[in-house]
Amino acid sequence: MEFSKALLLDMLEKMVLIRRFEEKVYQLATRGVVHGSVHLCIGEEAASVGSTMPLEKKDYILPTHRGHGQGLQKGADPNRLLAEIVGRKEGLCKGRVGSMHFFDKDNNNLGAQGILGAQFPIAVGVGLAIKLKKMDSILACYFGDGTSNQGTFFEALNFADMWDLPIIFVCINNLYGMGTHYEDTCNIKVHQKAKLYNMEVKTADGTDVKDVYKKMSGLVKKVRKERRPAMIECYTYRFLGHSAFDNRPYRPKEEVKEWKSKDPIKRLEAELVQQGIKEEEIEKIKDKIEEIIKGSEEFALGADFPIFDPSMET
Amino acid sequence: MREITYGEALREAMAEEMRKDEDVILIGEDVGKGYRGCFGVSTGLFEEFGPERIIDTPISENTILGSGIGASLMGMKPIVEIMFADFIGVCFDGILNQVSKINFMSGDQFNLNLVIRLPGGSGGGTGPHHSQCLEGIFQSIPGLNIVLPSNAYEAKGLLKTSISLGKPVLFFEHKKLYKLKSGVPEQEYAIPMGKGRIVQEGDDLTIVAVSYMVEVAKKVSEQLKKENGVNIEVIDPRTVVPLDTELIGNSVEKTSKLVILEEGPLRGGIGAEVAAIASEKFFDFLDYPVKRIASKNTPIPMTPSLEKEVIPTPERVVEEIRDFLGLKKGLLIKD
Ligand SMILES: Cc1ncc(C[n+]2csc(CCOP(=O)(O)OP(=O)(O)O)c2C)c(N)n1
Ligand SMILES: [Mg+2]
Repeated sequence: MEFSKALLLDMLEKMVLIRRFEEKVYQLATRGVVHGSVHLCIGEEAASVGSTMPLEKKDYILPTHRGHGQGLQKGADPNRLLAEIVGRKEGLCKGRVGSMHFFDKDNNNLGAQGILGAQFPIAVGVGLAIKLKKMDSILACYFGDGTSNQGTFFEALNFADMWDLPIIFVCINNLYGMGTHYEDTCNIKVHQKAKLYNMEVKTADGTDVKDVYKKMSGLVKKVRKERRPAMIECYTYRFLGHSAFDNRPYRPKEEVKEWKSKDPIKRLEAELVQQGIKEEEIEKIKDKIEEIIKGSEEFALGADFPIFDPSMET
Repeated sequence: MREITYGEALREAMAEEMRKDEDVILIGEDVGKGYRGCFGVSTGLFEEFGPERIIDTPISENTILGSGIGASLMGMKPIVEIMFADFIGVCFDGILNQVSKINFMSGDQFNLNLVIRLPGGSGGGTGPHHSQCLEGIFQSIPGLNIVLPSNAYEAKGLLKTSISLGKPVLFFEHKKLYKLKSGVPEQEYAIPMGKGRIVQEGDDLTIVAVSYMVEVAKKVSEQLKKENGVNIEVIDPRTVVPLDTELIGNSVEKTSKLVILEEGPLRGGIGAEVAAIASEKFFDFLDYPVKRIASKNTPIPMTPSLEKEVIPTPERVVEEIRDFLGLKKGLLIKD
């Protein structure tokens, strides 16, 4: 696959957007402006961008609890996503639910999940509707390595196979489900489970946006044409704790260091420079994102909190 | 008496029972090696009892609970931790059709020992999937004991009883209580099921409050005493199944007014059940209709401006009780 300079720069911009967005959320969380818990995807940007970019507007996603990156890449307005995270009326969901369970109907985001594994049966229903309505869309159903141990995962793989559903199951494998390494919870690799159900399966280096993009693009094309499920597993790493304030020492220091040295953004930057792209051009992108995030912060913190009204009761 | 936190009290209860009885085990997500429990409750247990008894599991609530049921059928005494009470939805059949019914269905061949620990509660902006108080739903499933410890002393005593009860227990913990300290004796004690306690005496009004709401009731009573001269009796039933009806009856006989305060949703909650019992059994004692104060019938929002409207905050409880008694701020009850 050929990567044009424009595409690579676009990927960089998207990854930097996610990184800066997450850094802003972290900063706001430490200032006490974000309520409850937030799960940040710093370090996983290549997996978010590489797997979501090949989708089209008409395609659907079900993001995870660590889904800001997936949602932004699918088109969520950073202003309204940030406003949601800080619980303001102008947020995507009127500020009601925040980070973990945002919906963004305009961009075919059918809702991130606070209940791990709940996305799988829902994915089956979305796939079924796409099929019965004879739509050209496909669905990307995101999940983490830990979540793949829910029984619903197997049920959904079976349905997707039996019913020929156009779903790509996208595993963001960051090696841990909270504090537990994925090899301590299952002896079988996630993508091998999909193989059992006759799916086209790819694994990708989730720190290399090109690798993820290339493989996901292939699957998108195939699933759109053949109307059969598939899976991609992207190996990556979250640089921060499980939630913004988790600093428990369950991950070996050397491991963290090693993965941080594979920072997906630095990696792409280095490659771009090597290809002769000027540092200034990269700086320009960063400045642009800086402005966007500044604007988002102003928008979000300037917005009002929602007010309770009895119509919220059922 | 020494003071320890609710979390430490739970840990002590588990550790003491585990030392006494090899059949006691803890099963759950991140309870052992890595996290020591999402809220740190099982800190140190992995080191003392090892991976065979402090069992970290895959993220699979259905089988986590099911493995507890199976082990209890084999005579073990599992404690199952569901990381947040909200996730019980994932393993609902185990509760609804299995563990609640086995003792009865087997003609008492089995007397299962199984404790399901369920951290619940809102007030921290954790939103609709991590904030619920679900005791109201489960009280309508026959066959379950429902325990709601309201401080460290209660937590330790009730957990020790629950572990060897011979009946399945839903043990609802409250996230806002974990760090709260109270007096807990060093010597052995246990608290029986179905025996409530009078948290404080009063003769103007009875508040029956569960879990964290006992703290709220105490605070509210203090304010209403100071500002309106109301003497409130606070009752903590400790367990809603079985329910200490007698204790509630005795209190209502004295005060003639009953308020039930809970954090779960209003409709079909603990309050609805206690109110129905009161109207059947204590109608003659009551001067006022029974009053329920609970969360609104809305998912728990994340944003503070909505969350505080939905859940029963002390401010709202004070207002509702004043309204109930026909009192304005500053007006004494005896005026
Ligand atoms: C049903 C359910 N069980 C447990 C949790 C608590 N929890 C939230 S995230 C998480 C770890 C998930 O791991 P993984 O799927 O690998 O995603 P990651 O957090 O690594 O992105 C856990 C245990 C939950 N939200 N829902
Ligand atoms: Mg993970």
